Formats: sequence, structure tokens, C-alpha cells
Amino acid sequence: MFISDCRREFYDVIISQRVLLLVASDVDALCACKILQALFQCDHVQYTLVPVSGWQELETAFLEHKDQIKLLVKQDDDLSVPAYDDIFRDEEDEEEDSECDSDGSEPSEKRRRFEEDVIERTMKRRQRREWEARRQEIIFDYEQYEYHGTSSAMVMFDLAWIMSKDLNDMLWWAIVGLTDQWVQDKITQMKYVTDIGILQRHVSRHNHRNEDEENSLSIDCMRIAFEYDLRLALYQHWSLYESLCNTSYTSASLKLWSVQGQKRLQEFLADMGLPLKQVKQKFNSMDMSLKENLREMIEESANKFGMKDLRVQTFSIHFGFKNKFSASDIVYATASLMENIEKEGPETTNFIKALDSLSRGNLDKLHQGLDLAKKQLRAIQQTVASCICTNLVISQGPFLYCSLMEGTPDVKLFSKPVSLCLLSKYLLKSFVCSTKNKRCKLLPLIMAAPMDVEQGTVIMVGIPPETESSDKKNFFGRAFEKAADSTNSRTLHNHFDMSIIELKTEDRSKFLDALISLLS
Amino acid sequence: LRRQRVEVNIELRKAKKDEQILKRRSISFSLMDESVSLGEEKRNEIIQLSLEEIVEAVNGSDTELQLQATQATRRMLSRQKDPPINQILELGIIPRLVEFLTHADNAPLQFEAAWALTNIASGTSDHTKAVVEGGAIPAFISLLSSQHMHISEQSVWALGNIAGDGPLYRDALINCNVIPPLLALVSPVTPVGFLRNITWTLSNLCRNKNPYPPLDAVKKVLPVLVCLMEHEDKDIISDSCWAVSYLTDGSNDRIQIVVDTGILPRLVELMASPELIIMTPALRAIGNVVTGTDEQTQAAIDAGVLAVLPHLLRHAKPTVQKEAAWTLSNIAAGPCQQIQQLITSGLLPPLMELLDKGDFKAQKEGVWAVANFTTGGTVEQVVELVQSGVLKPLLNLLLAKDSKTILVILDTISNFFLAAEKLGETERLCLLVEELGGLEKIEALQTHDNNMVYRAALSIIEKYFSGE
Repeated sequence: MFISDCRREFYDVIISQRVLLLVASDVDALCACKILQALFQCDHVQYTLVPVSGWQELETAFLEHKDQIKLLVKQDDDLSVPAYDDIFRDEEDEEEDSECDSDGSEPSEKRRRFEEDVIERTMKRRQRREWEARRQEIIFDYEQYEYHGTSSAMVMFDLAWIMSKDLNDMLWWAIVGLTDQWVQDKITQMKYVTDIGILQRHVSRHNHRNEDEENSLSIDCMRIAFEYDLRLALYQHWSLYESLCNTSYTSASLKLWSVQGQKRLQEFLADMGLPLKQVKQKFNSMDMSLKENLREMIEESANKFGMKDLRVQTFSIHFGFKNKFSASDIVYATASLMENIEKEGPETTNFIKALDSLSRGNLDKLHQGLDLAKKQLRAIQQTVASCICTNLVISQGPFLYCSLMEGTPDVKLFSKPVSLCLLSKYLLKSFVCSTKNKRCKLLPLIMAAPMDVEQGTVIMVGIPPETESSDKKNFFGRAFEKAADSTNSRTLHNHFDMSIIELKTEDRSKFLDALISLLS
Repeated sequence: LRRQRVEVNIELRKAKKDEQILKRRSISFSLMDESVSLGEEKRNEIIQLSLEEIVEAVNGSDTELQLQATQATRRMLSRQKDPPINQILELGIIPRLVEFLTHADNAPLQFEAAWALTNIASGTSDHTKAVVEGGAIPAFISLLSSQHMHISEQSVWALGNIAGDGPLYRDALINCNVIPPLLALVSPVTPVGFLRNITWTLSNLCRNKNPYPPLDAVKKVLPVLVCLMEHEDKDIISDSCWAVSYLTDGSNDRIQIVVDTGILPRLVELMASPELIIMTPALRAIGNVVTGTDEQTQAAIDAGVLAVLPHLLRHAKPTVQKEAAWTLSNIAAGPCQQIQQLITSGLLPPLMELLDKGDFKAQKEGVWAVANFTTGGTVEQVVELVQSGVLKPLLNLLLAKDSKTILVILDTISNFFLAAEKLGETERLCLLVEELGGLEKIEALQTHDNNMVYRAALSIIEKYFSGE
């Protein structure tokens, strides 16, 4: 449903009810969930939390509870929606324009004669037809491309703020939600920067430097700080070297899958005057003197090596004595926990653990997440290197295609949607840097990986091309649907992101063929 | 036995009243009319008058002001949303407006008054009453013969609203001799828009029961309706069919009057129309006809209804399925010769489909069809029915929540067994019923809430399944 006033049309309505909260499986949704949970706790709202990983689970959960459901709001990255008046016509207008009844009901017993000119009526009819045509276009566009709007967590934070119930914790979750969108490359650079600006103001408000100097040292206190930080994944919890090797930006720019790439890395480090031994140590153990102006130093050298965007605007959180995390750290950790392939219990355990790790009290879970994240990032980089070196990325004409074989190391990790998407993005970035083919650089990528060997299914994901001015709009959702339809392939379009599907391995070739002709 | 369609009538009527959506027809003015009304408006700019000013002007003797006030009233009453009918009514100007209808020297005034009164009469019963009590009936009937077509058309419309209020006013109109001048307006040169209005008003004169319209009026109107049903305009055909459907919704002698016009073949032809607005009333009319005598039903069969029914039994719209099934059930209540015609015309397969996957309300009618079949059919015909696979869907319908339906099915099953007994095939039938899961369903019904259901179920079990 369309809601324009979050407070009045949404929160005030549900506050007196029992709420069913259906949460999707991505970090932004989890963050939004945390904020809502905090608000609910504040206002004593009873709720039931149900993780849903796709449309089917959503439907099942809905049907299970439908007798009690009055209002349904799905937690998800909200897609940008068209204006209300462009799509819906209020009933009154409907009545005006309805011509003779065509539904076979009895003639009316009485009829009023309206003030109408035949010409007026024709004009109205013409206007109506134009409106319909425009509407079709809008809906086509809306449905054709998938793209993401504001982070759900930010929307929830905004709600909390409007109600003057916003806390620093909630702000942090909003930050993590936004960062998730950035890490997953779901929003444009412009949107990211704009939203950072919005959050900046909140951060200043909550984390005023002069206030409570004494308290800033207390264990329970937490502070959020704006950072113009290095965009090296997990570097403060890893070694600088590992981080450089496993961050897609640096890995792709330096082409670290190749021998020359490795040499370039050495040169890069030398340029910064960083001894290899130091750089390979745990970051916290690095010499203080080296860490002092690290950011500026790295930035300067990076510029020389063609990496102009090695720093990024972001935030970090400090609590306790030595706990400091960057927003992206949390994103990687939470995502890894959520998609952990080690089965630790019933299906929802991972979800719950990931959710819990977002609370400051659950440091152990967070650290577990960080470890998993490191494994994941390593696996991604290794897979990327392997794919590039063995020319596994091939052009199919309208798109690039890469398929991971069964038995590839770590392939099980990539049977999960977020991981696979991350892998695809990094692969595409690297591929674009590696290829000399100008045309290939502009193509989107479809990536496939085995999903369930027993059932013979494959998970497939489509991502838009890697261009500087990309609007991040993804048309694969529609394309997949059409291709599946025309070939009668057995596919499952269960994910909320329609560009992620599952299909039977046997149907893969005909499905791809259909896609190729569809998009050519 | 033949069943009148009482239920359905009430259902549909009620729904319409609840909706209160006034349908608009596209009325095409004749060129002359357009220039008249447009001309008026171009001369006088739109003058906003207060309600007091209107009352004063209307009651005064200045003809210009009278016209302005009446036009202003008409405008208020013809706006799209919430016309202030009550407010106008309370002004007490209705009798004066009716009086304006008699100003033969002032056609614009007559027209505006007629339009205003039409719209007041289009409201609630109280509104229509106020118009009638103002003396509108004789005035409008008089205007039917006006030399100005737009005025006579407006009068037709007004009279339609009055007739549509109910049988009381309908008959008041008829007693005031509305029919001859109304029918006189129908000619080959009458414009389509005008004809639409006339047809609609005629349909209201045929409408409503308690009492039914007077027979002599019906006999006068019918030939014209038959004529109008041959027109090419969809709305005219539709409303004529509705009128005929009202006329067939009564006693058998009323049905006979309609049958005697020879209209049945045309109705059957229209039943096959792809246009829902035409097919629906045609189906309703024929459905009514076959609730009559065996001869009347035969007339419908002879007109070709059996060829059209299969398609309608499979129609996408549930209400159509239901009406078709109801029609079929009444034909199946006839003598075995008519039942034979059902079989030879291939009506068993679509009936089976309907029982299997049709809309539930249609399935209920289908159950009746089968029941009637087994009551009036010969043993051979009943056997053919079984062979067409009726038992499976029929037994499945025992799971329905509706007690009446269950009873009819149980009754039908008894009839099947009676036929089986005559052929000495009782055991085979028992086996078949059991195989199809029917036995367990019937057994389950022994604990049904409804007294009659459980007794009927019990009786079947005891008679045929008590396992010697």
C-alpha cells in the first residue's frame, strides 16, 4: 500500500495492535527490523517476528496468520514508486467515465440526466485514454526495471525521529542499512553521498563532541563518528595486506590475479614506505608510527596507481574501551552470519544470530561474523582470480556469462544469494579491468552457481553493467520471467530481488538461449 | 419440477437498489435540439441564482426570469455529484414547474422544466412522489405529442422514471393512457438515442410484480417490443429483451402471450450473442419461458435453445453458468421426450463438466437438473445419464455445506437405485458408488445436523448397503 505519512498512517495504526513483522534476508532489512523492535519495546507493542527469504515464505506466513492480519507492510528495500495519481484513479472519477454497463446487469429503475455536452464527454474520453496510455508506460517502466530507493532502515529511523524516539543505537542501524546498500552496489554514488549527508546531521546531533566528556569513556556509552575512511574491507580487524588483496576495488584496479598485479602491489606498498612484514601483521599490531597518517599516505599513493576513490565517506562506532567498528565491517559480518552455510540448527538460527549480532551486547557473535566475512572475502577473490585466469567469463552477445562448476572450491558459499551477488559484482569489476574488449566492458553479467546438487538446481543472478554513470537499474527480473515463460523452464522466482532466480540445471541452456535472443 | 426463479430476482434487484449507481446512456441529440439548448446557453451567461431568487422568479410572471430560474434549477440537478434534490423539493416549486410543462408557447421553458422534473423524479420514492403529486403524469403524457422532439424525448424519460418507481405509478401511467402516444413515437425515422429512451421507458412499464402490469397493456406493448428487438442498436435490443424477460416472469398465461408473438427464435438467437448485455436478458427470458407448461417449453426447444445452452453452461461468468443450468434443470423436469432431446442435443457432457468444476451456485442448479432427469426420465435415459459419468461429481457434491443440495442429491441417488432395481443391477451400482467414494460420504451424512439429511442417508444405507 501507499503510505505518505509514516507516523499517522503506519505507526499510530499499528501501535495499538499486535504486529506481524515479516523481515527479508538482507542486512538493510535486519537493521530496519532492529529499529522497529526498539520502538516496539519502547511502546510495549506486541509483535511476532518471521524471517522470510522470498515471496513464497511471505505468502506462507501471511496465509498462516491471515485471519488476524489487517495491515501488511513488508520490510524490504523499498523500490521507488510512481506517483499515486499516475496509477490509481479514485472511484468517483471511475463513475464519471463509466459508459453503458457492459456487465449484463438489469437496467436502472430510474435515471438522472446529467449536465453534459457531447463534446465535453468526448474530451473526457480522450483524456482518459491518454491517461491510460501514460499509465501503461509508467507501469511498464516500473515493472521493467528493478532499482532501490532509500534504505528501509533509514526510513524506520526517520519515523523514530519524527516521533522523537530516536536513539543513537537506532542511528547506527540506519547507518549500517545504508552502508549495506553501498556495499551491495544497489544505489548510485550520488544517492549514497546524499544519504550520508542526512545521517551526518543526525550523528552530529547525537554525538556532540563537547557533551559528556567523562561519560565518553564509560563502558556503556557508544559514540558514532563520521569518517573519511579507507574503503578496504575489514582492514582494522585483519591485516592491511589481506585487506588490500581481498577488497574488490584494489584487487581489480591493481589486477592482483596476475603476476604483474602482484608486482604492482609491491610497488604500491613500497611507494607508501610500508614494509611487507608490517603490512602482513594484524592491523592493531602495526607500528603506531605507520598507522598515524595512514589514510592520507595511502590516498596519495593510490592516486598514482590509478585508484582515485580509495577513501569513502562513512561512519564508525566506538563503545567500551577497545571496540571500534566501521559500518562496512558490520555489514560484511552480519551478511556472513546470515548466509552461513554451516547449519547450526533450524533454518532461522542464522537469521536470529545475524539479527542479534547487531546489538552491542553480542560481541562474540559479531566476531564470529567477522571471521566468516574474512573467509567469504577470500573465497570471493580467489574465485574471481580463477575465473579471470581461466577465461570463465564469456560474452554471449547481449551479456557476459560465468558459470561456476560443481566442485569449485568454496562453491557452496555461493549458493546463497547475497554472496553470489557480491561475487558477481566483484567479478564484473575485475573483468572490466582485465579485458581489452571495449564492448565487453559495457555488458551486464549473468552468474550461475550450483544451488542444490541433489535437486539439480542452479542459482542465477543478473547484474547491470559496470559503468561510472550507472543508475543501477536492473532489467533482469523481467527478462528472466519472459525467458522462463517462453521455454517452459522450471524456475523459481522466489527472491524479493527479481534478478535472482533458481532453475533446474537441465533447463539452463534453453533458458540462456532464450535470454540471448530476448536481449539481442 | 419446474422452479420459478424467485430467489435470483430478489438478489439482482436488491443489488441494484443498494448500488444506486445511475447509469447513463449516450444520448445523441438531434442537431436541432443541440442548437436549441446550446443557443440558450450562449445567449444567457450562466447566472447563479440563490434558492430564494429561484422561488421568486418561478412564482412570478416574468417569463424570462421563469426560464432563467428553471434553467438554474435544472443545472443544479444535473451536476455530477450530489444534486440538491431535497433542497429543491423543499422550495415547493414542483407544482409550478409542472405547470410550466403546459406553456406550449414557451418551448425552452417546457424543456427545462421537463429536464428538472426528470431529475427530481430520478431520486428516491419520495422524490418521485412529489413530482407525481405535483400533477406531472397527465402533463408529461400530453407532452409526448409535442412538436418538439427534444421535449417529447425528455417527457419519455421523465415518465420512465415515474414508471420505474413501482407498480403503483406504473399502473397510474397506464390508466392515464400513456401507451398509445408512447408507442406512436416509434417509427423507422426515430433517432437511435430517442429510441433507446423509449425502449427503456417501455421496459419499466413491463417491470415489477405485485401486481403484474395489466394484460391489455402488455398485449399493446409486445408487438412494438418484438420490433425493437430487431433493431441493430445493442442498447435497444438489450432493453427490449429485459422488457420481455419481465413479461415472461409470471404465470403461464403471461408466458403464453409472449410465446404467441413468435419471438422465441429471435430470443434464442440473441442468447447466442457474444455481448453480455444482450445475452443476459435473452437467457433470462428463455429461462422464464421454460418454467411454464410442457408445450411452452417445447416451443423454446423448437426455437433452438438446446444448441445454445452448452456454450452458456461453460461460460466464464458464474451467473451465466447458473442461469443456463437453471434453464436446463427446468427442461429436464419435462416429459421423457424432452429429456431425450436433451440427450441427443449433447447436453450431458457440459452438464457433467459443470457439476465437476463449475461455479458452486451453478453446480446447485446442475444438481437439480440431474434430479429432475432421474424423476422424469425412462430407465434407459437414467442409464445413459450414469454412463455419462454423473455419479462422480454428484457424489463429490455431497461434501457441500448446503443441506438442501445434499437432500436433492440423496434423493437422486435413491432414484438411481430405483432404476437399478428395475434392471437387477443394484449390486453393480453399490459397487460403483463405493468405488467413487460415495459410500463413505453417505455414511458420514448419517451424523449430519439436519434431520432430513441424516434420515435420507440412513435410508439409503439401510436399503442398499446393509451388507447381507
